[in-house]
Amino acid sequence: MKNEILWSLRLGFSAEQSKTIEKLGIEGFLKQSFEAPYNTTVPDLLNDSPKTFEDFKAIRKIRKENPEKSKELIKKESQTLHELKAWWIEQIIPNEFPLREKMTLFWHNHFVTSSQKVKVNYWLFQNNQLYREEAFGNFKTLTKKVLQTNAMVRYLDNTDNKKGKSNENLSRELLELFTLGIGNYSETDIKNGAKGLAGLGIGIDGAKYHPFYEDNDPIEYLGKKGVLKMNEMVDAIFDHPKIPYLLTKKIFQWFIYDQPKEELIHYYGNYFKKVNFEIKPLLVKIFTEEFAKKETAGAKIKNPLEYSLQLIDELHIENPNINALVFFLRQQGMDLFNQPNVKGWDGGNSWLTSQIYLQRNNLADLLCNGRNFNRQKSPSENNIPKKQSVTVSLEWNPNENNKEIIKELTDRTLFAVDKSSQEDFEKILKYDFDPKSPGANNAVLRLFNAIVKSPEFQII
Amino acid sequence: MNRRNFLSLTGTFTAGSLILPDFLHAFGTQNNLVIGDQCVVFVQLNGGNDGLNTYIPFQDELYYKSRPTIALSKEEVIAGNNGMAFHPSLKDFATMQQNGDLSVIQNVGYANPVRSHFRSQEIWQTAPTNQEYLNQGWLGRYLDFQCNDHQPTAGINIDSIDNLALKGEEPNSITVKDPDRFTTKQTTDNSEQLSGNPQLDFVRKIANSVVEGSDAIQDALKKSTASEVNYTKNGLSKNLEWIARLIKGNLHSKVYYTSMGGFDTHDNQLAIHQNRLKELNDAVFSFYNDLKKAQLLSNVTIVVFSEFGRRVADNGRGTDHGTAAPMFIIGGNNQGKVIGNNPNLSDLDKGDLIHQIDFRSVYASLLEQKLNFSANKIGIKNSPVKGLF
Repeated sequence: MKNEILWSLRLGFSAEQSKTIEKLGIEGFLKQSFEAPYNTTVPDLLNDSPKTFEDFKAIRKIRKENPEKSKELIKKESQTLHELKAWWIEQIIPNEFPLREKMTLFWHNHFVTSSQKVKVNYWLFQNNQLYREEAFGNFKTLTKKVLQTNAMVRYLDNTDNKKGKSNENLSRELLELFTLGIGNYSETDIKNGAKGLAGLGIGIDGAKYHPFYEDNDPIEYLGKKGVLKMNEMVDAIFDHPKIPYLLTKKIFQWFIYDQPKEELIHYYGNYFKKVNFEIKPLLVKIFTEEFAKKETAGAKIKNPLEYSLQLIDELHIENPNINALVFFLRQQGMDLFNQPNVKGWDGGNSWLTSQIYLQRNNLADLLCNGRNFNRQKSPSENNIPKKQSVTVSLEWNPNENNKEIIKELTDRTLFAVDKSSQEDFEKILKYDFDPKSPGANNAVLRLFNAIVKSPEFQII
Repeated sequence: MNRRNFLSLTGTFTAGSLILPDFLHAFGTQNNLVIGDQCVVFVQLNGGNDGLNTYIPFQDELYYKSRPTIALSKEEVIAGNNGMAFHPSLKDFATMQQNGDLSVIQNVGYANPVRSHFRSQEIWQTAPTNQEYLNQGWLGRYLDFQCNDHQPTAGINIDSIDNLALKGEEPNSITVKDPDRFTTKQTTDNSEQLSGNPQLDFVRKIANSVVEGSDAIQDALKKSTASEVNYTKNGLSKNLEWIARLIKGNLHSKVYYTSMGGFDTHDNQLAIHQNRLKELNDAVFSFYNDLKKAQLLSNVTIVVFSEFGRRVADNGRGTDHGTAAPMFIIGGNNQGKVIGNNPNLSDLDKGDLIHQIDFRSVYASLLEQKLNFSANKIGIKNSPVKGLF
């Protein structure tokens, strides 16, 4: 596999950007990715979704007075959430510089606010948009901004954290999962942190302190003393010597290695601190230095989105069924806006079980046969036709012989081809395969189908 | 005791007394009585098996003239009958023939033969009417009709890669790469060859555990009895032994498919071919005996074929790609005949045999007479071969 293809897969969701990377170089590609415009508008699907206090009040009234209509509203919002997921995938697929979306997804899975608890779709969208805007921003700044989102204070129960009656959920995860990591703080820090965060609740334009519930007693937090509020607390956290490593490790895991070496995390973590937690220089340094190494391929299991979007791209499917893709992702354990818990998707090996692998193979079979994503038909879902067809077209060169075609395809798709896979592929496309015959395209598709069902295709 | 024996025995003991009506007695001793599931096992010989050196026209002088270096002498060939004899490696094929369990269909092929392995296999696997390009296999199309929704174990392919013949609209068949893995499912598997890449090792482990319908297979293996027959150690034997275990365990699959390679004998043919045919002979004969002991031979039809035969004249030490060749049908209550004329070496097309029986006619026989399915439904219009079953 060419390095440019490998890095197109890592920095995006398919091999689509490999030519751009080749043209611009990895640094040029990063620069353009940082500067590329992105969608800043609120999608229309949220037009009727409740956003303001008045809206919430009206809903509370309906809930009390009209249970039937209330049920309808809940159903409608659940449909809106589904559309929001589809909307996000639509932002990703045609993107020429998908790194911002990939980074948005990274933050989405770092600062988790899941729809299991956050029932206001607009808030979920606001956080999503914040991650998009700050995708290449500053880790410290983003941490402060996330604490000021309604989704986060709601998700981690800070709405229940009041003076004299504290709830430590947000205070704990702020240290354990968002910044320092376990072992770098004490239980007292958690308790005192909860005091500092007491009263931080839902506000009109985002979370804000409600004076009535605030705790203004001085506290000691990570060695700092005084009346510390969320901003001062974040400052204290970012003065801690261990601060750069957890995030650096997660960036490595997200983009390159499922199991990054400690030395790497340390080396790049120290640099991250040196550049004041700015994301851009960190990404540039990691990607350019690791890009220059040749032996980084085959280190990360694809997540379901990377897996399916690469298939869609390779097969040039113009009209993928995004709705069904949303369901596929859920089946695969990657339901957008809905991580199973605050830790987010674990990634790595936990992406794959035999069931999930089987589903991936079934999807590969479907798409390679020109059939769209489908959903298991259940009696209540007859509205979605079972068989939808799509036009698939695979890029390959009819002037090449069987081995060259195998090489062309595997170069784009597999990080490595061992002897036995090569033999299998040559069983499908034999030496006397005639690339000019009318059936050649189907045969190459069958080859591609076998390639994408191989274990190697699961790995970047 | 199976039902057939029971009926015969009862008939014998009562010695024609009135306890058992006559028609039932006749039913019990009827030769082609079959009870239970029927299935077909395909053994595909990859590379183009040389038919003329497999089932040999040993009394035809043209054979010796055309093949000065690789012809097998009258003294070597075995079980000569009506001008045809088996390659010495196929001694047990001769035994099966003597037992009346093996039919030979001579000169099987198709019009406008293609000499490309790739395309000819595609033609055999998809069975098109006029060599149109089809993207679904003939067995896949058959299984689509047979199965409601999808039934992952309706077809079993034991091979390293999916087979086009079984490809249909729905995934009604599975490919089992290494059947030995089924025994290791419950135990922890450390025998795996490691690649040095922990991610890849992990995914491979998962991939090996992924066989849709593996529960059904496990079930069948549990119910199955161990082979009373010692299979020789070779790749095809291993696959056929597993297929036997699945059949004996009542997996109810309609179609089993496996293949062996190495038949593309352009050079050094005598040694290679002898070796390959020996492996084929030993594997198929063990399988045959296994099924016979389990009293299942009448339910299982074994089909041995290749994508084409080879050129009549040798090229020195081997043979180039040719056309028609014999097919072997074993078990399934076939009539044990030699069907079709002996190869006509005096009337050739560009040095190759002209086919006399279309392979789709053989398919039609299998579908209609063994699988109780109208071949027409999947676009096979040829009429069944006469005298096969």
